[in-house]
Amino acid sequence: MSTLREIQRAVARSIRSPDNGEALRHIADDMIAAADRLAIYRNNAAATLVGALRIAYPAVEKLVGAEFFEGAASIFIAQHPPRTAYLNDYGAELADFLGAFPAAAELAYLPDVARLEWAVSVALNAPDVPALAPAALVGLAASEHDRVRFVPHPSVRLLSLHYQADVIWRAVLGGDDAALAAIDLTGEPLWLVVHRGSEGVAVRRLTQEEARLTAMLCSGSALSEAMPERDSAVFVALLADHLAQGRFAAFATCDPDRAANGHGD
Amino acid sequence: MSVASAPTERVPGPIPALAGIGLRFPHHQAVIERRPAVAWFEVHSENYMGGGAPLRYLEAIRSDYPLSLHGVGLSLGRVDGLDADHLDRIVRLAARIEPGLVSEHLSWSISDGDYLGDLLPLPLTEEALDVVCDNVDRFQQALGRQILVENPSSYLRYRHSTIAESEFLVVVARRTGCGILCDVNNIFVSAANHGLDAHAYLAALPPAEVKELHLAGHTVKQLSDGAELRIDDHGSHVEPAVWALFRQAVLRFGARPTLIEWDSNIPALDVLVEQADQASVILLQPHESRTNVDAA
Repeated sequence: MSTLREIQRAVARSIRSPDNGEALRHIADDMIAAADRLAIYRNNAAATLVGALRIAYPAVEKLVGAEFFEGAASIFIAQHPPRTAYLNDYGAELADFLGAFPAAAELAYLPDVARLEWAVSVALNAPDVPALAPAALVGLAASEHDRVRFVPHPSVRLLSLHYQADVIWRAVLGGDDAALAAIDLTGEPLWLVVHRGSEGVAVRRLTQEEARLTAMLCSGSALSEAMPERDSAVFVALLADHLAQGRFAAFATCDPDRAANGHGD
Repeated sequence: MSVASAPTERVPGPIPALAGIGLRFPHHQAVIERRPAVAWFEVHSENYMGGGAPLRYLEAIRSDYPLSLHGVGLSLGRVDGLDADHLDRIVRLAARIEPGLVSEHLSWSISDGDYLGDLLPLPLTEEALDVVCDNVDRFQQALGRQILVENPSSYLRYRHSTIAESEFLVVVARRTGCGILCDVNNIFVSAANHGLDAHAYLAALPPAEVKELHLAGHTVKQLSDGAELRIDDHGSHVEPAVWALFRQAVLRFGARPTLIEWDSNIPALDVLVEQADQASVILLQPHESRTNVDAA
């Protein structure tokens, strides 16, 4: 007799692939055919998983249409089945999948829109962690400033893109056809920081230099490492914005020697 | 130091033996603004495992109503034991929400680590019984409390099954100390799909173990060969035949917390309140002395 594991494997395979009838021999075939019975689960499962992707990628769906989205999502699901029942965590690989999906090749900007939507989804669902209040830094001695390292808020995501994904995303979700028609679809580098602040999820453009500095700060570099000449107006304004918007969750002052030598943890 | 640790005023946690509503995202705002006369709410645990707006709504609603956490993703029939990360997410949510009840399904949804996206029935065998009991034990230990296990709706049965589903549930309850969540619509749907007797199913469940009832709508799917399957889509009013079975359940078990579930084509909140009121009328009718025995 088959073990529970064997039966579950056979049913799982048959649910993922309609051509796979391996499970049928385990299923009672009475007044209704076993294949019809199994098909109900296959349809339910597909609806649930496509639905989860639809929630995370509304602009991608609007750009390609519901039918195309469902077809692409079904192939994606077969290639990347969820490894968790917490479906807010499901779908991270869709942008790369779309980038390699021949049927979407003409929409070169589509993967970047998906990258932005995934960052927004991650920010929406990130754990509740209080933002670092700028006042917490007030008591630091000037000599300690070099050694400050920040911990980014768990909702923060940095994106380095090739298309104007933020403009496309806003125009698509806002149903703004005039804005959509005016979008420059030729490639141009774009850097974004996404996070969830007190007013909800925010998407902000960064310059290349701001993106470089933000990446260093968010990876735990000490201030002295991120910006040896910290009096740069760009850096001061950027740091002030990150603090004011709540993009950091905490800070620590690291060992002076290590900061001076520029070694990260 | 975290916001989550801030003390909040809580109403008493226990879920009363009245009708509640399955709370879904479209009704968050209406519930907070209108404070409908509903005895309690139940939510899907998986919808509140992240931070942000959903959890804020849930905490606001929790300060006015008892809440029940109903899981759809833990996979009590998983042969590799429970997913530690998923279990941890539920435990943390329960610590934050302090629910009156915590429940999951007699089903499996994960095979070799892949989540399938639906609640699948188990082959009802001694092997499956051991797997489910081990997982229920671990779940209850992690939570430090009793859970309820719900009978699933099912569209297929396995050739190997040797135990009736009602009996399987009763043994799980006896072995692990868990309670039974009796979904009346699921019994109706499964009985119709397999040519079984729904009343015999109810009669096999011991009233003392049944701690909650569920009600929902379902649809009938016509297959190409003319046969029918009843689909538990939670997308319509409770059917008259299911209300009749619910009356039988209340007569047998006594008044129990009873949930109206509606998950697809979600209507206005008033429609759910009206369905809950119908359930409450039945729950509040004088019924057999069994209730009094249970309460004593």
